[in-house]
Amino acid sequence: MIAFQNVSKYYEHQSVLRNITFSVRKGEMAFLTGPSGAGKSTLLKLMYLAEWPDEGDIVIGDFHLQSLKTPQIPRLRRSIGVVFQDFKLINNLTVFDNVAMALRIRGVGEKEIKNLVSGALKKVHLRHLSDSYPRSLSGGEQQRVVIARAIVTEPLVLLADEPTGNLDPNTSIDIIKLFEEINFQGTTILIATHNRELFRNTGRRVLKLDSGNLVGGEVG
Amino acid sequence: MTLAYSFKSAFQSLCREKWINILSIFTVASSLLIITLTAFFLYNVELVASHLPERFSLVAYLNDNISQEEVQGIIDTLQKRGDIAGLKYISKDDAIKELKQTLKDTRYILEGLDENPLSSSIEIRLKKDFVTSAAAKRISEEIKKVSGIDDVYYGEKIAEAIHLLKKSLQNMSIIIFVTISTGVVFVTYSTVKILFYRKKDEIEIIKLLGATKGFIRMPFLIEGGAIGFFGGILGIIGALLFYFAVTYRLSMVIPILKTLVFPLEILILLPVTGIVLGIVGSVIAIGRLKL
Repeated sequence: MIAFQNVSKYYEHQSVLRNITFSVRKGEMAFLTGPSGAGKSTLLKLMYLAEWPDEGDIVIGDFHLQSLKTPQIPRLRRSIGVVFQDFKLINNLTVFDNVAMALRIRGVGEKEIKNLVSGALKKVHLRHLSDSYPRSLSGGEQQRVVIARAIVTEPLVLLADEPTGNLDPNTSIDIIKLFEEINFQGTTILIATHNRELFRNTGRRVLKLDSGNLVGGEVG
Repeated sequence: MTLAYSFKSAFQSLCREKWINILSIFTVASSLLIITLTAFFLYNVELVASHLPERFSLVAYLNDNISQEEVQGIIDTLQKRGDIAGLKYISKDDAIKELKQTLKDTRYILEGLDENPLSSSIEIRLKKDFVTSAAAKRISEEIKKVSGIDDVYYGEKIAEAIHLLKKSLQNMSIIIFVTISTGVVFVTYSTVKILFYRKKDEIEIIKLLGATKGFIRMPFLIEGGAIGFFGGILGIIGALLFYFAVTYRLSMVIPILKTLVFPLEILILLPVTGIVLGIVGSVIAIGRLKL
C-alpha cells in the first residue's frame, strides 16, 4: 500500500531524508519513530505531497507520485487521512464543520455528512462538542477533532504525525486503541511518534529514522 | 452539492466581512451609476441624433421647360435606386410660393420680376445609412447624370456633422464604459484579494484535505459576482432616483427634460454587467492556484 524506493529530500542542499526504502503492506499498522528532527514529519509530508521528493519514487495505493500530474493531487490527498501534528483546524468553523469539510470537498450530500460526522465524533468521544469552535477546546480535544476529520472519509491510508503529542497517557492509549479499531477495518496506518510507550508491546512493526536515514526496524 | 456549499460559503463570507464588502458594493454601485448616467445621456442624445438623417435631403434642380412626362420619368428612375428613402417634387410655382412665405415682410424684393426665376426641383431623402459626406457626394454625382436634371445640391457639412456626432458619441461611450469597468474590476479585485489573503491558512488546510482548484476558487468567484450584482442593484436604484428627480422635479423648471427616456434595458444590463465585472476581478485576484 505504501512503498518508498530510494527516496531523498533536500532543503537548501542539505539532505533531510537519504535514500529511504521501505514498504507498508495493505492493512498493516506500523510506527515510525526517531528523535525530533530525524525527518519523520517530512517523510509523512512526502506521502500527501505537502513536500515533493527530490529523488526516488513513492507509491501510495495506485498512485505513483513521481509521475503524478497536478490535477491528480486532490485525488491522492482524498485517499489519505492525515492527523497533522499542528492540527490544521479552521478556527472560524465549528468542530462539526471542521470534520465535515473533508466530506464537503468530496461532494458528499449534507444528510450523509450529518450521519458520518456524528459517527466520527462519537468514536473520538466529542459528540457533545460538535457546535464548539476549536479555540475553545483543549489541546487534547483539538487533536481528537483532527483524528475524527482524518477517519470520517474512511481513507485507504491513515497517516498520523505525533497523534498523541498533546494527550495524557490514558487518552493516548484510547487513541491508539481507536487506531487499532480503524486498522481492523482494513485501513493501512502509519503513525509517526517519538513516544516509545505507544508501540511498546503492540507487536507492530516499528521503522526507525535517525538524521534522515532509515536505521532499521523492530517489532514493538 | 459542492456548488450549494460554495454559495453558502460565499454568503457567509459576505456577512462575516460585511464592512469591506459593503464598502466595495457602494464603490461598485457608484461606478455603475456613472456608467448608467452616461448611457442614459447618450441614449437620449442618440435618440435625437437618430432623427437628424430623416431631415437631411438632397435637392435635384430640373432643367427649365421640362415636360410633366419627363419629370415623371426622372422620379421613376430615382425611385428604382436602393439608397433613396423618399422623393418630393416641387414645381416652379410651389417654389416661388415657398420663397414668398419664407421672405414674409421682405417679399417686395420679388416685385418687378416678370417671370418666375426659380427652377422646379425634386427633394430627395436618403436612407439613414447613406447620410454620410462621402455617400451623399457619390449619390449626387450619379443623380446629376440623369437626363433632365440640371444640378444637385446637398448639405455636405450637415451630412458630415451628423456622421461625426454619431461617431463621437459612440467613441465617448466606449471610453467611459472601458474606464469605469476597469475601475469596477479593480475594486472587486482588491476586495477579493484581501479576503483571499485573510483565508490563506484555511485554503492551505483544505488543499491538504484534497480540495480541487475549482472548490477553492468557486466561493471567491461567487463573492465577486455578488459584490457586482448588489452594486448593480444599488446602481439601478440610484439611476431611477436620478431619472425621477430630473423628469418630475427639474422638468417643472426646464420642460424639455420631460421628454427624456429611461432605457429599460439598463434594469437587466446593470446587474449582469456587475456580475461579469465582479467575476473578472475575482479571477484576476485569485490568479494561478498552486496545489
